[in-house]
Amino acid sequence: MKKRTFLSLSASLALGLAMSVSTASISVAQTTLRIFTGGQQRPDVMRKIADDYEKRTPGVKIEVEVGGATSEQQQQYLNTVLASKDSALDVILIDVIRPAQWAAAQWAEPLDAFLGADKDKIMARYLPAYREANIVGGKVIALPYFADAQFLYYRKDLLEKHGVQPPKTWAELQAGAEKVMKAEGNPNLSGFQTAGAPIEGTVCTYLVPMWGAGGSLTNAQGQLALNTPEARRPFQLWADMKAANVTPPNLAEIPTDRIRQNFQAGNLLFAMNWGYVWQRTQNDADSQIKDKVGVVPLPGFTADKAATCIGGWQLAVSAFSKNKKAAFDFAMYLSSPEVAKAQAIAASHLPVFPEVYTDPDVLKANPWFAQALPVVQTARARPVSPAYPRVSEVIRTNMNAFLAGSKTADAALADMTRDLSQVIR
Amino acid sequence: MTAKLSSLERSERRLGIALLAPAFALLAGVVLYPIFTLIRTSFSENKLTEPWLAKPWIGFENYAKAMGDERLWEATWHTLLYVIVTVPGAVALGLGLALLANQPFRVKWPVRLGLLLPWALPLVFAGLIFRWFFEYQQGLVNNALIWIGLSPVNWLTQEGPAFFAICVAIIWKTSSFAALVLLAGLQTIPKSLYEAAEVDGASKWQQFWEITLPMLKPAIIVALIFRTITAIQTFDIPKAMTDGGPGNATETLAMYIHKTTIDSLDFGYGSTLAVLMFIASAILTSIYLRHTRRDPSAGRH
Repeated sequence: MKKRTFLSLSASLALGLAMSVSTASISVAQTTLRIFTGGQQRPDVMRKIADDYEKRTPGVKIEVEVGGATSEQQQQYLNTVLASKDSALDVILIDVIRPAQWAAAQWAEPLDAFLGADKDKIMARYLPAYREANIVGGKVIALPYFADAQFLYYRKDLLEKHGVQPPKTWAELQAGAEKVMKAEGNPNLSGFQTAGAPIEGTVCTYLVPMWGAGGSLTNAQGQLALNTPEARRPFQLWADMKAANVTPPNLAEIPTDRIRQNFQAGNLLFAMNWGYVWQRTQNDADSQIKDKVGVVPLPGFTADKAATCIGGWQLAVSAFSKNKKAAFDFAMYLSSPEVAKAQAIAASHLPVFPEVYTDPDVLKANPWFAQALPVVQTARARPVSPAYPRVSEVIRTNMNAFLAGSKTADAALADMTRDLSQVIR
Repeated sequence: MTAKLSSLERSERRLGIALLAPAFALLAGVVLYPIFTLIRTSFSENKLTEPWLAKPWIGFENYAKAMGDERLWEATWHTLLYVIVTVPGAVALGLGLALLANQPFRVKWPVRLGLLLPWALPLVFAGLIFRWFFEYQQGLVNNALIWIGLSPVNWLTQEGPAFFAICVAIIWKTSSFAALVLLAGLQTIPKSLYEAAEVDGASKWQQFWEITLPMLKPAIIVALIFRTITAIQTFDIPKAMTDGGPGNATETLAMYIHKTTIDSLDFGYGSTLAVLMFIASAILTSIYLRHTRRDPSAGRH
């Protein structure tokens, strides 16, 4: 009995194999593409988009590989894969801070040849910041997938209850937070949080107020310029907020997603965070603040001069891919207004095409996108350097030490200047 | 006759070499080759983030840089502090645990299991558990402080408290290994010595001071050596608890090497740091070994 089942099973297997071989030889040869994405970039949404692409492109199969949760962890992994010229990955999602490094290292296949004569026309459709970020030395290094920027999330219900307007300046934010915290008398309610742990997000905790004050990490000649009064403003700002108890005493142990969790649990009034937070606060089952959230551009020192860090993810075709043309076609599909719209609705990912911001379906899912476009259009890029990992480490470590109170502003700024001057000359 | 014997000898030697060869090849592959590569890499500029630099040979430049690297000296100092605090701490606590486990309990396994569990736990788990204990908002320690009417402490983001919290975690985690070594030592001490002391009217304290401690000395030294070697390499627990923070205030040598090599992907300078740490720990270990070789004979006089 057992033997017969086995025989019939193997017979049907052989038959099936023969049939699949014959169908394969009739249709197009099967191409398998592997795309690398990060755990925070909604791989589930990517999978759905890839399913659609498989349906409309017979013969192409997409595998989604999910990497580490943070941009740094992903880049560490990718560095080792690409240093060994591994051909396993075809399309790779990279952070907006990386194209300079990827171009210099020749890890990304320049896309100019695939884009052909339409290159300028295609690139002109994107938001200027993303067009510029992805063209290095005149070559297209990657295609934008989705945009991102930091915003100020606030508790609409609490501000209305206490008659506070959404702040346009840091001073207004501090005064508003003090007023609401005092009136509420809830010891768990924290006024304002931004990333303070030694992670990538903390780089923006330093840069945003410095830019807002009109400063810049480098001067027009590209030299380090930390001896300006503007370079001190972030330290003063965060020290004031800490002294007023608007930020919690443990700011130095708070990473990006913890801010979202605190906000979502109803324990935070103002949160400085990226675009993904909206969708989570509105759709997560454990969200205590559904329909109680407002989003505005980040405050500045004066109402007309605000700044924000640009974020976002780009699609690079690996220079070591064995299917570069197919990989490029898939990347082009992912970088289309159609997919941008699908992502905006499913994941509140900010589109890289200006026209998608005014799409009625998109606005229905994300009413705040109407105000997001001017923010993304004026958001600034973190310093472009092939040695960016080191630049980032120096800024975040010193900022973390300052927020923890273990370094004074003078010491943190001096150490930052000393260490950055070895990288940015 | 002699010729025949030497041929037997020769074949025995051949057999000996043949039997040793696999082990030697394995050691060469996993110990000698990596050390050789490490030393070679330490003389080059090898940055994985900047492959266009093409890994040039730069002689002692990395070593010169290391000598003037404040962060290296700070990390060395932190590592030394961990050694000074946690090595005696773990061995002292371990001695207490071993004495406890050596008591004539009727059921011995609960005590022994309690001894084994922290030892069997992966280091990074221990680090995460203690991080949760010492967290500002959700941590048990602050909860207890509030409960008895004190104000919560920012354990992990202030230099002193962070160092303290990490030492507590390390001592808890490593004392059980010391206890296991010391328990084995305790069980070799003959019962008759205590019986004789009892007859002579020695107190429990005198028995401990005059019999237990001297008899336990070799075991204590073994525990100290092992603990020191692992303390020099301290990495997992501070990595999980503070990641070296606030700033670099709790960063150890091993963490600095990891950050340079794996986070910043600067293999050249990272290798230099690793070679320096290897030299330092080799010196420290050899001092210890020389001391122990001399010691047992000194004890017998």
